[in-house]
Amino acid sequence: MSAARTPLLSVDDLHVRFGTSRGLVYAVNGISFDIAPGETLGIVGESGCGKSVTSLALLGILARNGRVTAGSAMFGGRDLLKLKDDELRSIRGREIAMIFQDPMTSLNPVLTIGKQLREPLEAHFGMDKGQANRRALELLEQVGIPSAKQRLRDYPHQFSGGMRQRVMIAIALACEPKLLIADEPTTALDVTIQAQILELLRTLVSERDTALMLITHDLGVVAGMCERVNVMYAGMFMETATATALFAQPRHPYTLGLLQSVPRLDSGRRQKLMPIPGSPRNMLSPPSECPFAPRCRYEVEQSRQQVPPLEEIEPGRLVRCFNPVPADEWQRQRVGGAA
Amino acid sequence: MSIAELESREIQLEQPQGLWSDAWYRLRRNRGALIGFGLVSTFVLVALFAPLIAPYGPREQNLSLVADGCCPGPSAEHLFGVDQLGRDEFSRVVYGARYSLLIGVVSVAVGLSFGLVLGAIAGFFGGITDSVIMRLMDIMLAIPGLLLAIGIVAMLGPGIWQIMIAVGVVNIPIFARLLRGAVLGQRENDFVLAARAIGVPKRTILGSHILPNAVSPVIVAGTLALATAIIDVAGLGFLGLGPQDPATPEWGTMLTGTIRYLQTAPHLAIIPGIAIVISVLGFNLIGDGLREALDPKLRGRA
Repeated sequence: MSAARTPLLSVDDLHVRFGTSRGLVYAVNGISFDIAPGETLGIVGESGCGKSVTSLALLGILARNGRVTAGSAMFGGRDLLKLKDDELRSIRGREIAMIFQDPMTSLNPVLTIGKQLREPLEAHFGMDKGQANRRALELLEQVGIPSAKQRLRDYPHQFSGGMRQRVMIAIALACEPKLLIADEPTTALDVTIQAQILELLRTLVSERDTALMLITHDLGVVAGMCERVNVMYAGMFMETATATALFAQPRHPYTLGLLQSVPRLDSGRRQKLMPIPGSPRNMLSPPSECPFAPRCRYEVEQSRQQVPPLEEIEPGRLVRCFNPVPADEWQRQRVGGAA
Repeated sequence: MSIAELESREIQLEQPQGLWSDAWYRLRRNRGALIGFGLVSTFVLVALFAPLIAPYGPREQNLSLVADGCCPGPSAEHLFGVDQLGRDEFSRVVYGARYSLLIGVVSVAVGLSFGLVLGAIAGFFGGITDSVIMRLMDIMLAIPGLLLAIGIVAMLGPGIWQIMIAVGVVNIPIFARLLRGAVLGQRENDFVLAARAIGVPKRTILGSHILPNAVSPVIVAGTLALATAIIDVAGLGFLGLGPQDPATPEWGTMLTGTIRYLQTAPHLAIIPGIAIVISVLGFNLIGDGLREALDPKLRGRA
């Protein structure tokens, strides 16, 4: 169990806001989590719930109009949110690295792959070109790119999407970071390539005992990769549990809604997909009620009066709800086949 | 041949390597640009080898030639005739290419270097820095170019270096604006964020990620600005703000001296005029060709 290990990164009560022409956007509203070395932590949620913003905030690379307004993120005895840009820069890529969603746009089209692989090595280890090139070659081979030596001189447009994501992974792992943040690493790829990339990530991360923070909207990816999963909605964690527990017995109505809206191979033929009604919360005001309440079938009066606290309702499981889903609800629905 | 082999061949055919070689490939297939290259290289060669090409010195006077009135037209000894002081017009035009080329290149270099630095800083750092720089540029743009140039020459005093600086300064806001816009566009790119995420220093991000992606419109504008600079300098020369020695074979200055003889010897005005037109046309054709070659929307089409 990961709780026994000392956390590598410990985020507490993180708040992020953006100033826009329409007013303040409350993107992240108090999230807390720990990641231990070697652990794989999942953060799931729909678009715009603040998943990516969380990771960008940790690395200090938010867009100009974004501000961290509260919280701490302890990493190796230092609070990432209070470091100066220079200090953070020496952590980015060296100790915490990040992989982005779209490998088609995350590589610079005018630079060779070799040059882009050398960049973190030169920035953090001060390697000269020869050393960096040898290391770049090793890295390309590790991520499974054939005839790596020739490909170092190639440009991104000469690579396919899956190969580019492999290159991105190689760049992120170049300095052997302790924590790797993967922000929707497979979203832009087709399904067969997705499986390969996830497998590659899993292997590389376990070989190095790297902690992996996997951000995705794809429940399938989380199920296969993560030990613990956080379900995020409107900038808050709604439910936190081990992946097995979460998928067997979702307790938050939002988690249940997510599971119901995804087709499953083992479900009955007549089982209908149930979309979550309504649209995500407008984030222009701080939450004053349960942010999911307007879309929720389990809503109770109290949900409209205050934000429910994130409470441990069973060991290892936190749920932010006044009226959690009964533990056997999901199981019952799947067996019954009726919705 | 297997399908895989066919595919790999096709890929090789489709992709002539990187961005620049791709652009170069398309440039070579553009007839206008080739003509432009022809005109400009002639212009450059003439400028470089002027002493070998010109039969006379540019300041060599032979007043006996104009003893019977001004001015004898083209003849076997004097291809383009002689001017009011009996100087060989052909030699003067040939030497004039040196001045025009030098003036064009230096003034564009002045404009480009300051404009690029200011534009890159404004675009990359944004905020107050950006506002201050760009408002300054707006003020400069508010004054008509030639008028600003005349003002600067009036301040510095007439002379060939002064007009180069003046024309260069007029170009600064144009380049600064252009590069700022391009940098702003590139700054939000995913690969810039990705580079920041792996800890690449700011300066490297600007230098090796943003600028190479942002310079292509500036290259085009620079080529076109060479043409404009030649015209502007000729204009300033014509107004008498150019080289103070009237014997200098600068095309604009040559035009000034010949106004009085327009009716009797129009070739004295026409020939330097044609020289200006040809060199300007050459740079414009190259500029347009470059614009097409570097346009990302046209990339991939032959």
